[in-house]
Amino acid sequence: MSYIVIEGLHKKYGSTTVLSNINMKIEKGEFITLLGPSGCGKSTILRILAGLTDASAGKINIEGKDMNRVQPKDRQVGMVFQSYALFPNMTVKENVAFGLRMQKVNTAEVDQRVQEILEIVHLSEKAHAYPKELSGGQQQRVALARALIVRPKVLLLDEPLSALDAQIRKKLQADLRAIQQKLGITMILVTHDQEEAMAVSDRIFVMNNGMIAQSGTPTAIYTSPESEFIANFIGHYNVFTRQALEKMIGEALPKEYSKFAIRPEAIHLDQRQGDVCMTGEAKQSLMSGNVIRTTFEGECLFTMEQLHQRGHSFELGKQYVCYIAKEDVIALS
Amino acid sequence: MKKRGFADLFFLLLVVYLVLPVVATMLYAFATNWNKTILPEGLTLTWLAALFQDAEFIQAFGRSVLLSSGAVMIALLVIVPAIFVIVLYFPKYEKWIQMAVVMVYSFPGIILAVGLIRVYSKFGVPMILVVLGAYVIGILPYIYQGTRNSLQNVNARQLIDAAQLLGASKLQAFTKILLPTVYPGLFAGALLSFSVLFGEFVLINLVVGSRFETVQIYLMKKLSTSGHIASAVVFIYIVLMGLLTYAIATLTKRSKGATNL
Repeated sequence: MSYIVIEGLHKKYGSTTVLSNINMKIEKGEFITLLGPSGCGKSTILRILAGLTDASAGKINIEGKDMNRVQPKDRQVGMVFQSYALFPNMTVKENVAFGLRMQKVNTAEVDQRVQEILEIVHLSEKAHAYPKELSGGQQQRVALARALIVRPKVLLLDEPLSALDAQIRKKLQADLRAIQQKLGITMILVTHDQEEAMAVSDRIFVMNNGMIAQSGTPTAIYTSPESEFIANFIGHYNVFTRQALEKMIGEALPKEYSKFAIRPEAIHLDQRQGDVCMTGEAKQSLMSGNVIRTTFEGECLFTMEQLHQRGHSFELGKQYVCYIAKEDVIALS
Repeated sequence: MKKRGFADLFFLLLVVYLVLPVVATMLYAFATNWNKTILPEGLTLTWLAALFQDAEFIQAFGRSVLLSSGAVMIALLVIVPAIFVIVLYFPKYEKWIQMAVVMVYSFPGIILAVGLIRVYSKFGVPMILVVLGAYVIGILPYIYQGTRNSLQNVNARQLIDAAQLLGASKLQAFTKILLPTVYPGLFAGALLSFSVLFGEFVLINLVVGSRFETVQIYLMKKLSTSGHIASAVVFIYIVLMGLLTYAIATLTKRSKGATNL
């Protein structure tokens, strides 16, 4: 049996369905991400797992134990909130020690464990500071330490990095993954940032409208989107109707599929890198960090991405022939 | 430049209009004689000393403190937990508190007094208890606003959730986290309520009168016998309110600092 099992989870607020038939199996030590747009129900799953919100129907099982009637304080589930939720009346040390104090752990052990966890999150020198004296990134690390110190069976992370700036966010993503692997703890992260999900997860559950749209490893989700929603949400996929793509490439495509997707980096100018070709006029070229994103207009619009360093310079208004390997044309259900 | 001059002049006139009566009253509390001169002929502590030697004033002061602080304590014990529960767990019922708050403002003192006398006099309830009850309800707006703002500033629901997930019961989360966090705001609301009740005259005078003489009723009596003593009472009242205002301002500042997460 899996470490965490969620079966047939439903949640309704009045007549509004927030979650519909959610089924998940999570193994011990996995880093899982619930990814989806705002309002898709991902945070509700976390709150139900933590016992802070009741499910309308369905079962939650952690380590073989039915959690439906277990109080939040007895679930051994940790949570890190987007707004940190640090106790403003306590210092960093007192915040981190709070869970152990509630467990009535003796003072010597509390001090030792607090010191250890503050070293892991690199905040030993801030032990006596109050939350308002810390930066956003430091506050989030305190929240992480506070949740980890009680050694929860599973740690829930509700968009913990979304309020931070890009540079700190990237650093904390790496820290988070490193800590998770070091401690071997099961973590479930909620985010709407697909890059973040790709960077830290063992598996991703992509959600839409209260349902799981697709699940799998980051590579599987990225390379094999099953629907137009996933293709659009997970990357900058070019999505075409069958008829439009058939016209562009001049070949027949399987009739059972109505839409097809092509990754922008799978489109090349080198004929050796593709079996099918399509022609388009370069309309716009935008640089986004190390990637140049160029939009072409043929039978319909499509976008190509290439690394900046060895990228081709396109002359806007000129016609180009682009090549794609057949296996990179992905049929969407 | 001309505009600036007018603005300064109006500001000066406003300050004079607001401050002059207060300063004059306070000066009169220390004046030996102030009948034929622009400024007092001399200064003395006689009136203040006389006031503090008057057992009637000390008793009236004690009654005012007792009545006001009693009402505030009851409000803190009864109303605050109710506001906590409603704001955190049943926000849809908040509209009823807001309606009660508006009703408190909309009842003129005289109508409230007549209503209370007519309803409660026939039941044999001591009227001072009726006034106490009315005071508890009367300070609802200050207590409600202070508590609600404090709770919203600290994202109280999430603090309770976080504490519970760390093994605390709801009661532990309330006493160890929420109460110490929102206490500056609560205390400021309590002090504000105390100062409002301490200066209340209409209700206590109409419903109870001299049977329970408070500072305001004592002041009313002294107005017809000694202007100097009455001014000394006002002086003490203003000093007390000044101290309370300072305490409220300090606490409000601290409360804002605590929420800077």
